[in-house]
Amino acid sequence: MMRVKFWGVRGSIPCPGGHTAKYGGNTSCIEIRFDDVGRQIIIDAGSGLRELGNFMMGHDLPKGPISTSIYLSHTHWDHIMGFPFFTPIYLPSTRIEVFGPVSHESDTLETIVGGQMTYRYFPVRQAELAATISYANLKEGRFDLGDGITLTTKYLNHPILCLGYRFEYQGKVFCTAYDTEPYQNLFCTDSDSTEYDEGMALEGEVVAREQNEALESFVAGADLLVYDAQYTQGEYIPGKVGWGHSSMEFAIAVARRRQVKRLALFHHEPVRTDGEFDELAAIYAQTGDGDGPEIFFAREGGEIIL
Amino acid sequence: MESSDHLTHVIQAYIDRMPSLSTTVNKVLEVCNSPKTSANDLNRVISLDPVLTGHVLKLINSAYYSLPNQVSSLARAIIMLGLNTVKNLALSTAVIGALGKKSCFTALSMDAFWAHSICVGVTAKALAAANNVAGSERDEYFVAGMLHDLGKIPLNKCFAAEYAQALQLAALEQGSLLRSEQLLVGIDHGMAGRLIGEKWRLAPSIVDSLAFHHAPEQAPADSRTLVATVALANLYANIYEIGSAGDTFPEAPFLMSILEMMDLKWTDLAPLHAIVRMELDKAQVFLKLTE
Ligand SMILES: [Zn+2]
Ligand SMILES: [Zn+2]
Repeated sequence: MMRVKFWGVRGSIPCPGGHTAKYGGNTSCIEIRFDDVGRQIIIDAGSGLRELGNFMMGHDLPKGPISTSIYLSHTHWDHIMGFPFFTPIYLPSTRIEVFGPVSHESDTLETIVGGQMTYRYFPVRQAELAATISYANLKEGRFDLGDGITLTTKYLNHPILCLGYRFEYQGKVFCTAYDTEPYQNLFCTDSDSTEYDEGMALEGEVVAREQNEALESFVAGADLLVYDAQYTQGEYIPGKVGWGHSSMEFAIAVARRRQVKRLALFHHEPVRTDGEFDELAAIYAQTGDGDGPEIFFAREGGEIIL
Repeated sequence: MESSDHLTHVIQAYIDRMPSLSTTVNKVLEVCNSPKTSANDLNRVISLDPVLTGHVLKLINSAYYSLPNQVSSLARAIIMLGLNTVKNLALSTAVIGALGKKSCFTALSMDAFWAHSICVGVTAKALAAANNVAGSERDEYFVAGMLHDLGKIPLNKCFAAEYAQALQLAALEQGSLLRSEQLLVGIDHGMAGRLIGEKWRLAPSIVDSLAFHHAPEQAPADSRTLVATVALANLYANIYEIGSAGDTFPEAPFLMSILEMMDLKWTDLAPLHAIVRMELDKAQVFLKLTE
């Protein structure tokens, strides 16, 4: 059994306040518990990680030293900003492994994540952290995490290197694919334009299709899929193409095409209020009684058992 | 002459700091530094420099990304990794280009080498089109043609005196440069090209065209059509003297055997002339070359 809990569901920046109390204002953080084998995995260290850390101090620490793994989808700030506020890092007994993708021209993961802890930004320096923290670069691949847990990773379409995660455990599949948008043919397709090059245009078409295919296969058959749905299609098309996020319509279409059982729409636009979510839910949410997937907007504090 | 192990070692040590051609560096910096660069411009500017193209493909196929399938075209890399990533790859690579002064090209003329490379790239692509290769695969032909003579760069740089002699000998004998390279340097540009391709982990088809473009019949069956196309494009560039990479005297029997392999007649190549000239002009305008 996997227990998946949302500690942060927003994109871009935390947005606390009266209008976001119901769906939550913290940025990306998802916890998976594998109770049968006593393992915990955290995906992303957005501001939601602070609350999770506080919970772990009360719930896990009394049972023994904290040991956990954090898998970062990527290193944009909204996905790492919670790390300095994750209380367990200040305990000498804590052991944490941090995994994530880093592109070749960038610094190491340790510098990017730990670099938030320099006096310029923060009163505690990374070197002063008491916990044992290790960092490892992650790429596309399939990994045996032990205890019967398998992880497959897949590059997504975002302005920096970004990974989707697919965990398989006891025949169940939990999958994330956020901070991604549909691959597009980036080359000029207007044959009247001076820029036009037939070869580039055709190849762009083929590769975009192939990449979308590959991403869809990656999420196929998931029991729970957490997918980027920052925008409505109406918001996406006129101004947000190329920003690295998807529309709700696209997320839903993928889940339908690929027999996903439950779809959590995720990485919400910060300006979206609870009232707007309730209206959108009336349009997009599904119970899953019919033949399609169950569809819902991810909510901070929401828990799903697989 | 030195032992071939030693020669290999000298060349391998040089490969990773191999400079871009200064012909294109300024334009690369301009295009990659602009926030408004289009995918078309980015692809074009990188693909106009054989060394830069090789370096970028090398990084994309490297352990940093460890992609499951080898990427042999820039267009594919741009869609998969995004404009930003490829721009940054090119920028970080083009910095090496600062070393690529024209003086590095002691025996070969860099501008003539560049024109030869691009002519072979464009011709290979046009031949692929004439042979009904799918549009989305023609870029690979272009890349293979553009890169085919990369092996000459380390030879020319690491063994400048010997290489100058090899070029002279080939000119004197009106014979094969490959043979005089073997004779006077001890390693030819096909062998050096293979070292580059393998060190940079370029796609096997590209490595084959670096290694076998003077003997396509020896290329593995999978890549033989591509290699033969590049070989023919190379002969075309040499016969019509578009640019120069030192191979000025193609052997007639070799030409006949490739035409046979490709089921073509020499007259089939004449219509390519207009396309090749146009592409070369476009590239020159794009790079704002003055001469
Ligand atoms: Zn984000
Ligand atoms: Zn050659």
